[in-house]
Amino acid sequence: MTATWRAIRATVRRRRVQTFVIGLVVLVSAATATVALTLISAASRPFDRSFDAQHGAHLVLVLDATKAPAVQPPVDRSAGVQAVAGPFPRAVLNLPADSSDAVGLGALTVVGRADPGGPVDRLDLWAGRWATAPGEIVLNAAPSDAESGPGRLGARIEVPGRSALTIVGRAYSVSQTADAWVPPDQIVALGPTTAQVLYRFADADTPAAVAAHASAVTDGLPQGALLGSQSWLTVRQAVAAGPGAYIPFLTTFGLLGLAVAILIIGNVVSGAVVSGFRHIGVLKALGFTPRQVVLVYISIALLPAMVATVLGTGLGYLVARSVLSDAFSGSGFGGNVGVAWWVPVVVLVAVPAVVVVAALVPAARAYRLSAAEAISAGSARRAGRCLGVQRWLSGTRLPRAVSLGLGQPFARPARTALTLAAVVLGVATVVFAGGLAATVSRYAEVSDVNNAAPIAMRPGNPAFGQVAPELDAAQTEALLRALPGVAHLSVSTVVPVTIAGQTRTMSGGFLRGDTDAGLAGMIVEGRWLRGEDEIVVPTAVLNERGFGVGEDVALQFGGRIRKVSIVGATLSSGVGSADFFAGWQTLDALAPGYQLPSSDLFYQIEQTPGTDVADLVRRVNAATPGLYAWDNRGTNSFSSSVLSLSITLSVLLGLVAALGVLNTVLLTVRERRRDLGILKSIGMRPSQVVTMTVVSMAALGIFGGILGTPLGVLAHRLIVPLTARAAQIDTPGFLLNVWDVPVVLLLPLAGLVIATIGALLPARSAARLPIGQVLRSE
Amino acid sequence: MPLEGDESGQIVSLTDLCKEFPDGTRALSGVSLHIRPGEAVAVMGPSGCGKSTLLNLVAGVDRPTSGSVVVHDEDLSQLNETGLALFRRRRIGMVFQFFNLLEDLPALDNVALAGQLAGVPTAQARQRARERLTELGVGDRADAYPATLSGGERQRVAVARALMNEPALLLADEPTGALDSASGAQVADLLLALNQRGQTLLLVTHDQMLAERVATRVVELADGAIIGERVLEQTA
Repeated sequence: MTATWRAIRATVRRRRVQTFVIGLVVLVSAATATVALTLISAASRPFDRSFDAQHGAHLVLVLDATKAPAVQPPVDRSAGVQAVAGPFPRAVLNLPADSSDAVGLGALTVVGRADPGGPVDRLDLWAGRWATAPGEIVLNAAPSDAESGPGRLGARIEVPGRSALTIVGRAYSVSQTADAWVPPDQIVALGPTTAQVLYRFADADTPAAVAAHASAVTDGLPQGALLGSQSWLTVRQAVAAGPGAYIPFLTTFGLLGLAVAILIIGNVVSGAVVSGFRHIGVLKALGFTPRQVVLVYISIALLPAMVATVLGTGLGYLVARSVLSDAFSGSGFGGNVGVAWWVPVVVLVAVPAVVVVAALVPAARAYRLSAAEAISAGSARRAGRCLGVQRWLSGTRLPRAVSLGLGQPFARPARTALTLAAVVLGVATVVFAGGLAATVSRYAEVSDVNNAAPIAMRPGNPAFGQVAPELDAAQTEALLRALPGVAHLSVSTVVPVTIAGQTRTMSGGFLRGDTDAGLAGMIVEGRWLRGEDEIVVPTAVLNERGFGVGEDVALQFGGRIRKVSIVGATLSSGVGSADFFAGWQTLDALAPGYQLPSSDLFYQIEQTPGTDVADLVRRVNAATPGLYAWDNRGTNSFSSSVLSLSITLSVLLGLVAALGVLNTVLLTVRERRRDLGILKSIGMRPSQVVTMTVVSMAALGIFGGILGTPLGVLAHRLIVPLTARAAQIDTPGFLLNVWDVPVVLLLPLAGLVIATIGALLPARSAARLPIGQVLRSE
Repeated sequence: MPLEGDESGQIVSLTDLCKEFPDGTRALSGVSLHIRPGEAVAVMGPSGCGKSTLLNLVAGVDRPTSGSVVVHDEDLSQLNETGLALFRRRRIGMVFQFFNLLEDLPALDNVALAGQLAGVPTAQARQRARERLTELGVGDRADAYPATLSGGERQRVAVARALMNEPALLLADEPTGALDSASGAQVADLLLALNQRGQTLLLVTHDQMLAERVATRVVELADGAIIGERVLEQTA
């Protein structure tokens, strides 16, 4: 064993506490960095990653089956075509919603495919098996819809005029090429009128590139054969809106995490080397070369750091996987947005590199110092800086333990600055996360029509094995209104309608009852519904369709057209919700005599003050057979994901910041052992030692809180609108003004909490310092 | 200066005192020593004989393995850490070989600190500290930081701090050990003057000259045990 290695081992053993702190800080920092980098990586291209994994279709052509050739087009690589699949026969089934197990499917686009693989649009068959026999069908659904999505395995879909289809599998197509797939033999039986051809191109990043490719590949088609096409960019824009909301948010958290981690590592490691100057001098006096000494001091930081980096990266990997699964599974990307391979590699290389750099700066000074100078630098009783401040404090009326504590941060300005920066970032993170959580909660409260009230209910559907309701809609409403504790009741349904002049169907949300109670808060422009022939439209739909508040549009259902006015804009209510809202009388006018299946009605109840929601849910369920009520609070998956992310990352970063404080106090206590011994020898009580030590950091914490709070608020004001824009959501003032003045004044206490938690443990150890031993050894 | 002792007329009663450190080193074995008010007792002996350990036990900064330490009627073994801190604050003052002043505070605030910790209001503590410094001949150095003081001046400041709360007992551990002979003589004169004004002293030193100049009684310690004791007559 070499002398250098012996020195390293001896030093690590002698400084167990320091080694432990370095290890702990690096572990948490590596975990935070892993989570942060993963979030940045995943947030940047969640759709693209999933799309690439499935060899998604850059272009889907829908062709007239009677005019287009039935053979697969060639792969013309010179024209930039990478792969082609199809033509696959395609049929659209119009399913009465009440007559099949696939409730809510409505119009179902079915494609005939022999298998889920192929050169383009490789489906993720995540449940059941592929449809291989006549009468079998596989539905398109994201894995996250396993519990709530349509079409349980084994269920039958009744197709009017044809044989029923049995659901044998559930697969997911990021390209959204179909609603369902059947074997090629079966599609023939369904009477396909169109066919789809799927293309992948070498370059399809811009609308112009896709359009050029589309033009090239459709150039030779017979007149009238091309019925339509779908660019992957359109799908990406629509599907990625949900996860897109996470991008600025996750990136900000990621950058904050990295900054805090680097600061704390620098603080801890450089402090460890500085506090070892005397030992460095002794080693030099024994004959160690300057290089050997530097090696020893880098190693004592690097050894625990490397072990901690490996453990921290593993921990971060687990946390990141869980966070990503929460964040993206709702959009179907959960399975494909794993931790990128380069993230652990970067963390495993970069974190030890940061440790080495942080150690090199003070170690370089040790390299230059002579043995005597190093011993002197490590042993000298140096006065601190800013002595005037300490003198002024000693003259105040504050208790002496408090004034001594307040003066301590001034004695080591550089260390104080690093610790302060960590606290500032920690507080900013906590404030930002808190604000974001409040914004998201408010958004969830007002934006989602399906979460407008604490209690929700649907009549039973026998196709799901549920009991059919005994009462009709009017009787059900009367029964519910008569129940004690019911304050407001609203009923809604979604009906597909078209707008004259536009081809794509819109989901119309029609409402009756006490809709003003919860839903009117959604309005961000104009006003809420007052009467017939009025609609309010989510801002995202307004933007997408090019409408504006005050305009008139013509709704079309069946053969009837009804002119309505757009009287207000609402917050977008996310994927799967209505494209506009209107009163029930508008539906009656648009579709007189239209018979809604009872299971298409959605009831929401707001309870009177003091009524227990769970109890009311029980009473509703017991009121009559065929009513299925549930506690509807906190079911918004978007807000739940953001809240869980906020809490996870805030706890991690708060912990790292507190560890930074703990390290600073440990170093300070180590340096001030003699002073503490003196103070105790002249009668300072243990509780006063604790007070002094905690106050020294608490002051820093409050100051950090005062600086970090506006930083966090500013980040919230900047990031949230960016986040919202990415998700095509407007951010009216009430979503941003989430802090009251008293709350803002209390927010700096977050710094106090972080600093106090970090300082308490070493403060207690300082209070227990044995005076005799300290004064004898110093 | 306080002169009162306990019921037995003694200010310090050490009975069968033993101290063994965690590494097995036996620093004191069976030491019994009694000091009356107004006495100046010098404990002498070679390095490692247990002199400083004895002083630390009397000051309550360390605890004996066995035996009892009673100072000014207080059995230190019955006191917890807070009780010991209050005891040090009210009953004793300590002077160290290397002065042990806080480098961040000027002389005045180093002295005043002892009073402030005892609850004396800041203005009053500073006033009293200034008086102590003046009495000890370093009043003009009140605003100087320790690093700018000479060794003798630092030790005077340390003595002033030790006397700040008018302790019943002044403990001094090699008070001239880090001083040149001239400064050492000045500190010796200072301690002598204090004792002559009634201050009880317990002094640990190697310095025969200092012991003979200041002490009224010399206790010889070797290998943790008292091997001799003699009474001296002070020379004014």
